[in-house]
Formats: sequence, structure tokens, C-alpha cells
Amino acid sequence: MAAVTAAPPRSSKTESYVDNKRKEDIRQANIKAARSVAEAVRTSLGPKGMDKMISSANGEVIITNDGATILNKMEVLQPAAKMLVELSKSQDAAAGDGTTTVVVIAGALLKQCLTLLSHGIHPTVISDSLHKASTKAVDVLTAMAVPLELSDRESLIKSASTSLNSKVVSQYSTLLAPLAVDSVLSVVDPAKPDMVDLRDIKIVKKLGGTVDDTQLVKGLVFDKKASHAAGGPTRMENAKIAVIQFQISPPKTDIEQSIVVSDYTQMDRILKEERNYILGMIKKIKATGCNVLLIQKSILRDAVTDLSLHYLAKAKIMVIKDVERDDIEFITKTLNCLPIANIEHFRAEKLGHADLVEEVSLGDAKIVKVTGIKDMGRTTTVLVRGSNQLVLDEAERSLHDALCVVRCLVSKRFLIAGGGAPEIELSRQLGAWSKVLHGMEGYCVRSFAEALEVIPYTLAENAGLNPIAIVTELRNRHAQGEINAGINVRKGQITNILEENVVQPLLVSTSAITLATECVRMILKIDDIVNVR
Amino acid sequence: MAIEKIFKDDASEEKGERARMASFVGAIAITDLVKTTLGPKGMDKILQSTGRGHGITVTNDGATILKSLHIDNPAAKVLIDISKVQDDEVGDGTTSVVVLAGELLREAEKLVAAKIHPMTIISGYRMAAECARNALLQRVVDNKENAEKFKSDLMKIAMTTLSSKILSQDKQHFAQLTVDAVMRLKGSTNLEAIQIIKKPGGSLKDSFLDEGFILDKKIGLGQPKRIENAKILVANTAMDTDKVKIYGARVRVDSMSKVAEIEGAEKEKMREKVQKIIAHGINCFVNRQLIYNFPEELFADAGILAIEHADFDGIERLALVTGGEIASTFDNPESVKLGHCKLIEEIMIGEDKLIHFSGVEMGQACTIVLRGASHHVLDEAERSLHDALCVLSQTVNDTRVLLGGGWPEMVMAKEVDELARKTPGKKSHAIEAFSRALVAIPTIISDNAGLDSADLVAQLRAAHHEGCNAGIDVITGSVGDMAELGISESFKVKQAVLLSATEAAEMILRVDEIITCAPRQREDRM
Repeated sequence: MAAVTAAPPRSSKTESYVDNKRKEDIRQANIKAARSVAEAVRTSLGPKGMDKMISSANGEVIITNDGATILNKMEVLQPAAKMLVELSKSQDAAAGDGTTTVVVIAGALLKQCLTLLSHGIHPTVISDSLHKASTKAVDVLTAMAVPLELSDRESLIKSASTSLNSKVVSQYSTLLAPLAVDSVLSVVDPAKPDMVDLRDIKIVKKLGGTVDDTQLVKGLVFDKKASHAAGGPTRMENAKIAVIQFQISPPKTDIEQSIVVSDYTQMDRILKEERNYILGMIKKIKATGCNVLLIQKSILRDAVTDLSLHYLAKAKIMVIKDVERDDIEFITKTLNCLPIANIEHFRAEKLGHADLVEEVSLGDAKIVKVTGIKDMGRTTTVLVRGSNQLVLDEAERSLHDALCVVRCLVSKRFLIAGGGAPEIELSRQLGAWSKVLHGMEGYCVRSFAEALEVIPYTLAENAGLNPIAIVTELRNRHAQGEINAGINVRKGQITNILEENVVQPLLVSTSAITLATECVRMILKIDDIVNVR
Repeated sequence: MAIEKIFKDDASEEKGERARMASFVGAIAITDLVKTTLGPKGMDKILQSTGRGHGITVTNDGATILKSLHIDNPAAKVLIDISKVQDDEVGDGTTSVVVLAGELLREAEKLVAAKIHPMTIISGYRMAAECARNALLQRVVDNKENAEKFKSDLMKIAMTTLSSKILSQDKQHFAQLTVDAVMRLKGSTNLEAIQIIKKPGGSLKDSFLDEGFILDKKIGLGQPKRIENAKILVANTAMDTDKVKIYGARVRVDSMSKVAEIEGAEKEKMREKVQKIIAHGINCFVNRQLIYNFPEELFADAGILAIEHADFDGIERLALVTGGEIASTFDNPESVKLGHCKLIEEIMIGEDKLIHFSGVEMGQACTIVLRGASHHVLDEAERSLHDALCVLSQTVNDTRVLLGGGWPEMVMAKEVDELARKTPGKKSHAIEAFSRALVAIPTIISDNAGLDSADLVAQLRAAHHEGCNAGIDVITGSVGDMAELGISESFKVKQAVLLSATEAAEMILRVDEIITCAPRQREDRM
């Protein structure tokens, strides 16, 4: 409504340029807002990038270097800025890594667009040229890429550690990178070799210890204690595991019910009957040889009572309670068993088998580990440790990024150099290409090429190097044909980055370029913000 | 003698010139708002919700923009309504209709200022509209007989519609998709049978057409992942707890074992229900409500694929395409119509697992799976695709086709101009104004593309004096032959734009008094 009344309708009838001026202003405002978001995350790019501390509305503190997380928690309001947040999310979904890169590129592109617009170039012309340039850029990148075999574990680890190196947990990259590679490779289904479902990898976080203690578990880990009531067993060899979805507690009907007690003997009898009822259930369970029970959480009634726990302990059955319904699928897949929803269906063939189920103390907390599972499904669990909640969360996010990197490599088996090398090469090649294009297009493509230099520039800046010296040196090297020359942040100089083992998946780079361009084009095409219901 | 107050306290009345002014102002403001979205190089708008979450939508679809506006001006509301009707009737041209109506009013405003009576303007507009329609009718191309040519017409129309949308970069791909989908419908306009599934991830190019039906659900645990020659029972029944509920009932017992008995009986009831369902001789059961663990296990034991919590839309569509009926009681297996399909299997799209029904009863059914970078992109793509589908399905019924790119407007303008010259009297001014309003559309299209509209439109006019296929080629920024460039539009859409815009303008012109009723008083609940 505001927008409608704001436009002076009388004057717009004849003087349409007044209207256009307002639309220019909106575009400028959008670009400025989006750029300021990009500026905010720019300093966290690269291995020497800084972290951000975010204190959320409910007093929670997060320290992170992950672009997607920073943007997600920023709670921006301006619509164009919001689109940048969405952009980072899309990159997270598409590639999992490079969430900062994509925003920084978008910011740089917008900066160039501002100049182009001020030269009076029509937004749609810019938008079309950007699209052309990005298609060309993807071609250039693909030409640069090095093919990779899945059996080449070394290269996989290298790219995972490139991703990890820019995180808070970079000093642990030697541990986490192989871990990420192994866990992804172990869930690859030979029938569908280019599909990886990251839901088959469960990350369990547990406070205590250091990130060094993070481990890959061939089996299951529950972030829960085994039930200790009445001294039940906490370690079980040759376990026969049942996943049950019913409750071992006194019966409860859906119809509202009340038990009328009229005298003392009756009370006694009720207690006895309750006991018998539970005992009957447990006997049936015991009869199948089951000795470990995983009990699904129930909202309808108590999944277990003290009494049933007591009897289960007596029957030497280990109990893990409050398993979430969502986890059941993962568990049954891992254990290769079927969930049991009714005591009548409790049969031996529905059980899963494992060599060892035990409760392990980690510091003051306890977890339950299931190892040596027979016919284990293609799943993996990673147990992440950290000395405080902040490190732990960041470790999980970093590990997620590393997993995504490996997944990208599985689905698209090409590697590309890191350290700003591909961007500077793109910039060089597109710059050369722009010279053969005609008219506005050439002009816009050249701006695109210049915008891409932001990545090496920022990398150098964040590492405390002289960005201008570094970028010009890089340009020089690339002009001489060293297409893999990039910034070695550790040494603070320019080296052949492929030899330094700084590599990343092709998919991350290409999707960063295409997504950033798409987002910038969308912002360019917007000429009005309308408030609606 | 003073007249007693006629209206309530807060009601207001605007008369004559003022009323007309208010309608013009409102209608023109709306037109100015949406006109920048017109044409292949039109701009987008951000719709920022003032409601909870401040969600944003980025769109280029006139109907979507107008639908979500807060409007207080009655004339503006009329324009929004015609845009909605256009959306429902033909699906596309929602912006054009508003822009044309707005331009007609803009011209009328000048005429009124020149002391021409609104009624004269209206009758002039009517004559002009009739003449314009006839001009179009003379120039339509109908390729009904020639299937090959007709299909290429459809392709062209789809490409033209899509080129003004977010899908313009991949319009070839999507045009093929939509044409294939519409051809499968075999002339029916039942777009229900075309399902659009949006899955974030990948790029727009990865979108594809799938024959059959896809349900965005998971198969229950331990159940078969692939069924051939499936017999499907679609149901809407409560299975959300392990036991059958009886509402309002209450039992009093005096011992624990009796509670256990009742619980057992309840469970038995559920088992019976499941048995009854199984007795239909099915191997796939789809329920709109949740299926809890116990029945799920029973189904798994019987080797039946059970799908829980399918949304309402999904259920209805599934029942439609598989030829089944939604059942809620299971006592008479023979009266329930089962759905059939050749194969049910689990497929992966992107990261997610979905259930795919192929070889369904209703052969027309198909699914378009949209992939895209983000939800904004997907939502906008769906809107664009919907427009294209609507237009195509309309065109299949009314096979008359016109050229696009401002060509029809110029043809109409020329004829109307000639009519104006022949018509004696004041009406001729109105007819001339009508022609100017028509020319405004190519003007806006070229303005939006950042081209020199004055020059282009003049060139067009000159070219049309000879009667050719000239229109604006926005891509190269010059006047081009629309037939060669393959830019086509459906006659039905154009006709609807012309007629409803004229009608709306007429309606607003007739107004000479606006009475605003007093707002209804809220009860004070303090």
C-alpha cells in the first residue's frame, strides 16, 4: 500500500522518468544492503580467516567461521540482504562447502554492477552478460579440473583437509580429514556409486575430551546411558538386539479408564496383577534370547516403569530407553533388524546381532556403543568430542563441510586447485574473452572477470599479506601459463598450489559461481519492493 | 429546509469529477506498479510480507503481485479483479490486461478533461474493441488440421510465455516439458493431472517430466520397496495410535488384568481393521493420516506397502490418476474402487527419496519435477510453469494462434485508427484514444528492455502500414519479423485481454459517485 500511495500518480502520467528514478534508488538500496552482508562475512574467508562471535537473542553464544551459519544467525531484515542469506543456504545444500566464497563473490559482482549501472547500462543487459560469463566460467573451470578416482584416498583426504583448514578446528585436520573420507566411502552403495546419502552418517556430539578424541565408530553410538535402575547389565557380549516400539508398562487403554478399588485385598491384587502382566511380557522377550532392548520413546505413556526396569535387570537384559522415532530407521538399517511394534510379534528373526554392546564412560558422561554388528547396513557413526560446547558445535559444522566435500567428489569426480588459483585463472581467461565480444556485453564480462579477483585478494588480505602485490604477482604468473599458481597462505607466497596439496572439488567452485551469478541477476532485476499482507 | 443526514457518521461520499478523479488515480497507480514487469525484459518485484516472519517473494507474475497488495481504492480493486479472472480463465496475460485497462483509463482521463462525456467515450471504446477483435480474427492462423505444425505452434507459444519469466534461460527445455505434458492431456483442460514437485538443489536445467505420479513420502519400515502390478487402496482413516479409539466412552474396572484385557481388545480392533483392509486384496495402502507403529508392522508382515500421512492434495490426485476412490470404511471390499498401477518403486531425486507410481490408470497423468537453487527460484518457476501450462491447454482447445512481440497490438491499432477516420462525431476521439492505448503496450515492452521506445514504435507503425509481421525483437533491440523469430501468442489470451480490459475501463468510467460505507464498529470487549 505504501508503495502505491508513495508514487505521485498525477505526475507519473506525463513525467515517467520521475518514476524511474525511484526504481533506480530501490535497486541501489538493494545492492548496498546485499553488499554490506557480503562485507560482514568477507573476513572469515580462507585458512587465515577470522571467526565471528554471534550472541543470539536468547543469550546463546556461537563462534564460527562457517558462512552459512553466520548468515543464518544474523537475522537480517532487508529483503535483498535476505536473498544473500538464502544464497549461502543454497550453496550449503548444493555443495556443502564454499558458503562464504559464494557470498563474497556475489558481493564483488554487485559492486561491479553498481559501477555498470551508474554508466547507464540497462540492468537486463548486465544480467544477460553475467549469465553468459558464468556459463563460460564453468567451461573454463571444467577444463582446468583434474579427474579423480575414488580409490585415490590420498586426493580425497587432501581436499577434505583444504576445507577443514579454514575452520577453527584446522589443527585437527590430519585427524578429521581421513575420518570424513572413510565415513563417506563406507556408505557408498556399490549399486549406485555416485549417490551418497549423508543421512547414513550419524554425527554424535559429546562434550568432554578434545577434538583429538573424535573417532569413527563401525557400529552405533547412543548418546544415552544404559538404564541403571536396579543394577541392570551395562555390557553385553554376543548381543541380540531388539528395537521395540511398544511399551513395557502397565496397560493403558485409549478409552478413559479408572480402576475402582473398594477394599484392601483388591489393592493387593492389582499390584500383583500389574507385576504379573509385566513379568509376562519380559518372559516372552527373554524367550527369544534377546538381551539388549532399544525402546522407542512414547508420548502416550511411559515407555518403561521402574518396575519393568527392575524385572528387565533381573532377566539380565540391557535397556536403552527413549530412542527417538526418527532414529528408528537409521538404527534398524544399521543393525539389519526389524522394529517390533507388538509383544505378540516378538520373534527371534527380528533381532539384530552384535558382538559387543557396552556402556563407555567418557569423562563424566556415558555413552553406549554397539560394535561388531553382524550384516551391518551401510551406515557409519562419528563420535565428535570437544572441550566445550562452542568447539564441539564448530567441530560438527566443520566435519559436515568436510563430509560434503567428499560427497561432492563422489558425485562429480573432478578436483580443482584451491588458494585462489581457479579464480585468477578465470579472471584472466574471461578478461581475454571479453576483448572479442561486442558492445555492452564485452564491457560487462570484463567487470565480471575483475570481480572474481576478490577471492585471491581477500585470501591475501586475511592472511595479512599485501593483497595488491599478491594479486598482481598472481596475474603475472598466470599470464605466463602457470595455471595452478595460487596463494600459499602458510608460507605467505605464491606457489604451485596443486603441489601443495591444496585442492577442492570442482562442484564447489562451479556451484559457487553459478549460484552467485543467479542471485546477483535476481537482485538486478528487482525494481520495487512492495509491502503485502 | 436542510436535508437530514442520509449517511452514517463515518461514511463518506464523493461525487462527479472528484469520484472520477479518484478512480483514475487509483487505477493508474496500479498500472504503473505492474507495468515494469511486462515483456521479456520486464523487472521483478520483491513482495515483502508484513505478516509474521517477514517472508519475501520475488516475482514477475502480475496476478501474484496484485493479489497480495493492500488496496483501498475501489477502482484499483476492479483492476485486481480482472487480473484474477484472467488468471483463472486463461492463466496468462495477467499483467497485460491490467496495463491495457490502465492505459485506456489514462486516455479517457484526457478526453474527460477535454469535456467529452464519459458515455461518448464508452461507446467509442466499444466500437473500437469490436473493430480490434475483428482485425485479430482476420489475421489468426489456425493449424488445427496439421498436427506437426500445430505442435510447433504450441512450442512457440510456450517459449513466448516463458521468455518473460525466470525460466527464460532454459525456455527451450521447459517449453518442451510443458508441451509434452499438455499433449498428454489429450485436449482436457484438467491441469490437476499434471503434478508439479519442487525439490531444492541442482539447477533449473535438471528439471524433468516424468510419466506417472510421484508422492513425496517414504515407504514404511520393513516393507517392500518395489511392487509390480500394484493394487492401491487410498484411504482417509484414523490409524494414528496403536489402538482403535472410542471417543467419549469411559470404563470402570476393578483390576489390572481387566485393563489389560480392554487394551488387548482395542489392539484386536485395530488388527481387525488392518485385516479388513488387507482383505481388499491390495498390496499398497496409502493413508492420509498417520499410520502408527503397530498397524505399520502388521502391513509389513503382510507384505503390503503402507504410506502414511500423504497430504490431502496428494491423496486426491493419487486417487484420480490411479482410478481409485478414497475409502474410509472397509466393511464392503467389493464396493471399494481400487486404484491400479504397473509399478511402484522408490526413487531418489537429489537428496530425497520419493515414491514413484508408473503405468497409472489415467494415462494423461504426469509429473514435472522442478529443480532449482533456492525456494524463491522454485516458487517463481512453478508460477511460470503454471502460466505456460494454462495457456497451452487453452490453445489445445482453441487452436487459433497469433504472432507476439507487440504485433497484435499494432494490427489492432491500425484498424482502429482507420475506423476513427471513418467515424463522424465525438466518438472518433475516443476511438483514436483506444488506438493510442493499444500502442502503449509495445512502448512499455521496449521501455522495459531499455530500448528507445519512441523510435521503435514509430518504425513499427511504419512497417505495419504495409501489413507485415513486424514486431519488437527485444533481444536485438530492433524491429523484426515475428514469424521468423517464432514468437507466437494464443488468440484466446489476446482476446480475453482485449475484452476484459475494455470492460473494466468502461465500468470504471461509468462511475460518478463513490460512497464509502462507515466501517463496521468493533464491539468493545474491554
